[in-house]
Amino acid sequence: MTDEINESVVLKPEDLRAVYAIGLAIAQTENIDSALDLIVQHTRHMLIFDNMVLYLPKDHNGLDPSYARVIGRGKCAEGNIEWGEVIASQTYQAKQTSLRQEKLEGWENNRLFWRDFLGLPIRAGEEVLGVLVFGRFGGPPYTPDQVRLAEFIAAQTAQLIENHQLVERVSKLEAERWLRRMQDEFITTISHELRTPIGFIKGYATTLLRDDTKWDDESRREFLTIIDEEADRLHELIDDLLDSARLKAGTMFMQLQPIRIDQILREIVVRSTNRYSSLAVQLNAEHGVTVMADPLRITQVFDNLLSNAVKYAPGAPVKINVKNSSEICTIIVEDQGPGISENHLPHLFERFYRVPETSVSNHGTGLGLFICQQIIHEHGGDISVCSEESKGTVFTINLPCQGSTKDIPPAGEEPIA
Amino acid sequence: MSKKILIVDDEPRYVRLMEANLISDNYQVLKAYNGEQALEIVSNENPDLVLLDIMMPILDGFIVCERIRKFSTVPIIMVTVKGEEQDRVRGLDMGADDYIVKPFSATELLARVRAVLRRAAKPTNIPAQSVFHHGTMDIDLAKAEVFLNGKMVYLSATEYRILLQLVQNVGSVIPSEQLLSDVWGEEYKKDKEILWVSISRLRQKLEKDQNNPQHIVTRSGVGYIMPEMREGQTN
Repeated sequence: MTDEINESVVLKPEDLRAVYAIGLAIAQTENIDSALDLIVQHTRHMLIFDNMVLYLPKDHNGLDPSYARVIGRGKCAEGNIEWGEVIASQTYQAKQTSLRQEKLEGWENNRLFWRDFLGLPIRAGEEVLGVLVFGRFGGPPYTPDQVRLAEFIAAQTAQLIENHQLVERVSKLEAERWLRRMQDEFITTISHELRTPIGFIKGYATTLLRDDTKWDDESRREFLTIIDEEADRLHELIDDLLDSARLKAGTMFMQLQPIRIDQILREIVVRSTNRYSSLAVQLNAEHGVTVMADPLRITQVFDNLLSNAVKYAPGAPVKINVKNSSEICTIIVEDQGPGISENHLPHLFERFYRVPETSVSNHGTGLGLFICQQIIHEHGGDISVCSEESKGTVFTINLPCQGSTKDIPPAGEEPIA
Repeated sequence: MSKKILIVDDEPRYVRLMEANLISDNYQVLKAYNGEQALEIVSNENPDLVLLDIMMPILDGFIVCERIRKFSTVPIIMVTVKGEEQDRVRGLDMGADDYIVKPFSATELLARVRAVLRRAAKPTNIPAQSVFHHGTMDIDLAKAEVFLNGKMVYLSATEYRILLQLVQNVGSVIPSEQLLSDVWGEEYKKDKEILWVSISRLRQKLEKDQNNPQHIVTRSGVGYIMPEMREGQTN
């Protein structure tokens, strides 16, 4: 076919310009629709058509219109793209250019009611990626030169689709590679995080077991306390790993019940400030704010946010504000720490993600905020973060509300049925 | 007088663990929680041994080791993490004398410390003032100092001991296993890797052409030899 074109098609200067513009449009855009728009724009005066439809294969079988433009006389039939389907499937099956003329019943002798269709397979090697259909209403039928020009456009469209598929494949591979890298880093981090407490337990236990030394009571107590605390740390770490795996697999089930969030927060604040002597928290919440939540899991979320504040914003005061509307309860956890650089914010809730600048000096697995987000999602709520360097970080949590009612028992007591 | 040992680790609990055990064995302990502190203490306090953790923020153990070696021959034990075998070789390559793998037991730590200090101790059977010449290399055996073309070369304690073994057996091959057990101790007999790394490091410091060594020559499959050199011969 190519040789024939060389022999027979003589392009006019304006056609040449259009062909050049089409080639450029294909090369410069990854977006199929906008490139096809350009093709329509540059082709319409050379080819003369009323509609152009690109059909792509459906998941299982058959074809679906993926792009359709109607111009000129076709506008009266805008939105109706069915008239290309017969020739589309005919072309798709035959894998070659096909022509078809339809005559409107009762108007067989009036050329104005003839419809000429040109179907062109979109080929990538042996494979047919789809079909391009040109429809012309009211004749005259397509000439061989016009068919060849249409074939050129189809070849360009094939290139466009292939490029697009390539771009999609590359970004998919890149996403996979990113995930793999995160997983590798996670394995390095997690083995370090697991080994550190084990190293202390082993080291201090064997210290106490030395039979060539007698330790005084104070030292013995110090070493045993470290062993005890490190065993707890190991326990927490394993819990996080299991939670993250359950959340990922969708097998963590929430025991949702109406709970008094103000009361739960008060308990969390008392416990956290007892645990971390450097932590100061100011809680502003009106009494009796009730949300639908799993008390254990929601506690886990706030424990995590507060322990993050201790780790990454040491010494900075933390404010927790609870805002309540009839449907949504918003809880804002705000610190005045060093903040988080803007480029890390979009990744903060990703599984295994850790802010590189802080990950060497602080223990962590990159699971905490992922777990928080998943738990909040399981509650039908959402969590977001905003942060400004050297100003602080704000986490905002929205939870579905139950309205304010005095009948709800405090958390920890039997839920009402 | 008790030996001074510098502990370098960013984990206070590891520092405390090593400190408690070393003090109970009558060592004097110096502590550093980062690389910069470590370098300062090594240059000011002249410790007898450094226990150096690898995973530290900013200046990691490798960099610290490399920098220490620019001005000091103090024996260094790298504290590595299990499973990171390449760390071990890299540490030795940077001039460390030995390594200990976390998690370790208290007795293991003390045994390593004793072994390295024993190796570092100057041999006593060397006649005072004696200087050994080998081509362009001179070794002041009394001061344990090595010179190339009259310029002093810094060797780690382990490197010096390897060299000394070769000097004491000049002209005859020392089997690798013997070199390992003489320099490192019986328990290192099979650890050929540690020997390769140290020999290659020694050659980097002493040989003009490492592909054609004059002082430390490999006898494939057997060991190493310092060939006898005729009076007046240079390399």
